[in-house]
Amino acid sequence: MSKLNETDIQGFVLRGYNLPVARYFFLHFEDAARARMLIGRLLHHVTTGQLWDGGKPESTVNIAFTQQGLAALELPDATLLSFPVEFQQGMKKRAGILGDTGLNSPERWDELWRDDRVHAWLGINAQSPAALDHRCAAMVELLEETGGAVALAAQEAAAVVIDGKPTTREHFGFTDGFGNPDYLGVGRSSQPGQGKLLPNGSWAPLATGELLLGYADEAGELPVAPMPHILASNGTFMVYRKLHQNLATFRAYLDEHAALYGGGKEKLAAKFIGRWRDGTPLELSPDNPDSSIAQDPNRSTNFTYGADPEGMRCPIGAHVRRVHPRDAFGFNGKLIDRRRITRRGLPYGPFAAEGEPASDTEERGVIFMALNASISRQFEFVQQQWIEYGNDPHLGNDKDMLMGNHGGRGKFVVQGDASAANPPFICSKLPNFVELRGGDYFFLPSITALGMLAMGLVDPR
Amino acid sequence: MPNKNGTVYGLTILSPIIDDEQATPSHDLQIRKYLATLPTGEQSPFALAPGTHLARLVVMDDVIYVGMPACEEHLKSKYLVFESNCDGELDNYLAGLAASVPEHLDAIWSHCVGYPGAANQQAFIDYMKACQLETTFYFAAVNDKSVPETLRALQTQHAVADFIADHQGMEPARLQTEFARFVAELKSAPVPRPGSMGQPRSIKTGGRNE
Repeated sequence: MSKLNETDIQGFVLRGYNLPVARYFFLHFEDAARARMLIGRLLHHVTTGQLWDGGKPESTVNIAFTQQGLAALELPDATLLSFPVEFQQGMKKRAGILGDTGLNSPERWDELWRDDRVHAWLGINAQSPAALDHRCAAMVELLEETGGAVALAAQEAAAVVIDGKPTTREHFGFTDGFGNPDYLGVGRSSQPGQGKLLPNGSWAPLATGELLLGYADEAGELPVAPMPHILASNGTFMVYRKLHQNLATFRAYLDEHAALYGGGKEKLAAKFIGRWRDGTPLELSPDNPDSSIAQDPNRSTNFTYGADPEGMRCPIGAHVRRVHPRDAFGFNGKLIDRRRITRRGLPYGPFAAEGEPASDTEERGVIFMALNASISRQFEFVQQQWIEYGNDPHLGNDKDMLMGNHGGRGKFVVQGDASAANPPFICSKLPNFVELRGGDYFFLPSITALGMLAMGLVDPR
Repeated sequence: MPNKNGTVYGLTILSPIIDDEQATPSHDLQIRKYLATLPTGEQSPFALAPGTHLARLVVMDDVIYVGMPACEEHLKSKYLVFESNCDGELDNYLAGLAASVPEHLDAIWSHCVGYPGAANQQAFIDYMKACQLETTFYFAAVNDKSVPETLRALQTQHAVADFIADHQGMEPARLQTEFARFVAELKSAPVPRPGSMGQPRSIKTGGRNE
């Protein structure tokens, strides 16, 4: 695998920017010609995957489109119909497959997502609020100058700031953002534990085609992609989900059950997730958090579950073990290599430190964005089988403790041993700690494809 | 013994479907129509008859050769495929089907060549065995336990999980009393009916997503 053409791939695909503030505009195109003009003008702003020799930029710009957006740009029907079915349908119509029912059902989503007006996502990340405002003002000016789109809404997101410093904590107090997969050809300092597991216990990057269209995937096949090839190549699909966090419910549930659990509150919290709140993996340090592990890139994601088949260290149903099972299903982890996703995203809403008052109704959560070559094979499989069902880990109907759509009937088992500090424990009547507030499926094209969209040159023949 | 994996029997039956140009609709379509309306859950014929872990009925129209060099070949007949992972000895299992759900068996297999009907139990068993192929792969989720043992184990697992969830942290003497009562109740509870243990799942599955 030679090096990828980083100048042709949107930077958002190749790397997590690790910039502390962001604003995501949701655009609606009213006129195809003017929208194309807008895309043409935006092309010069879009951040590519090129390395930042001169240090991080003050801000970045990226863009992605829904099926309705591509239709509004008047792409030929033969192209629109060549997109994968799940993308054509959009996330709302996939609610039944995803388990987005009950409290998570589309009729309860934010108004923005209840009809099909969102055509594009325009994502701005920045080093500071001032830089963000500056870049966003330039974007709004472009929208107005060209008349190419109206901004239906803007979603703010920002890293949680503690003691004046941006952190990778999320609202429940856990350190997030460990471990995205490595891919062949993506020039990034790779970290043990982040690619696929090899029989000798080492880790290797996943096939490029698990992330990008136009390259062989883990099965040696080209992912399903729209026609023409040049429209798809170096692009990918993005899943956008606004995940509201019921902070008061989470804290009350943890307090109530910690009072009955012999291992103490922080250990129970760690058993929920599979990592202590500072990020230390339970599998590597089951008795206490150890920041020397959490902060060491050679150790923080470098573990397997093979030596812990009964879940004595990390429960079999712990969040990180369910959504990234590594070798937990045997066969050296082979069964999961086509189910990996790359996560981007940031928290939104005000942070309430432990001890500060918190409610469920305050706007607070995580903007979850997943990148993958096949939404149905990768994201949808993880969501359906590993979050909303428990068959693969032999947990019956138990859903993911943290993310599951439990509706008050969920169950989570903490496996334990005979020691007083690590007793077995059962959490029942699980509520929804996290609720879906909307989102959609987006196509994130290459720079070449953006140019084709701008010039109206998409030809499926 | 290829048809047995521990105590579980792997049954594979291919019955040729009657090829009659006069029949409208054709016999394979009549089987498909009946199978499409067959109840699942507790009213499934395989829940009503004893001993089935998992069963599958498929109409096989033809098989296509995939490989190089390409080659065109066809089955001589359409087949009804019946696969079952079941308990015990084959004769007993087939006799149980014939005794419990003869009307379903007749409605399906009467479209197959040479089917004698379920009323004559020995003729039914002989017919099924004449159509049998060797089984080499099993449904992976069947443990080496009988259907009643599996249902009992599921019942116990659910009950124990609920008991623990409701009694964690209780004072020991009271916990012991409650546990003794729980065990007595569980012991005297009837084994759940086949097909009754699955919770209704709100999630849609199938097609491309499995």
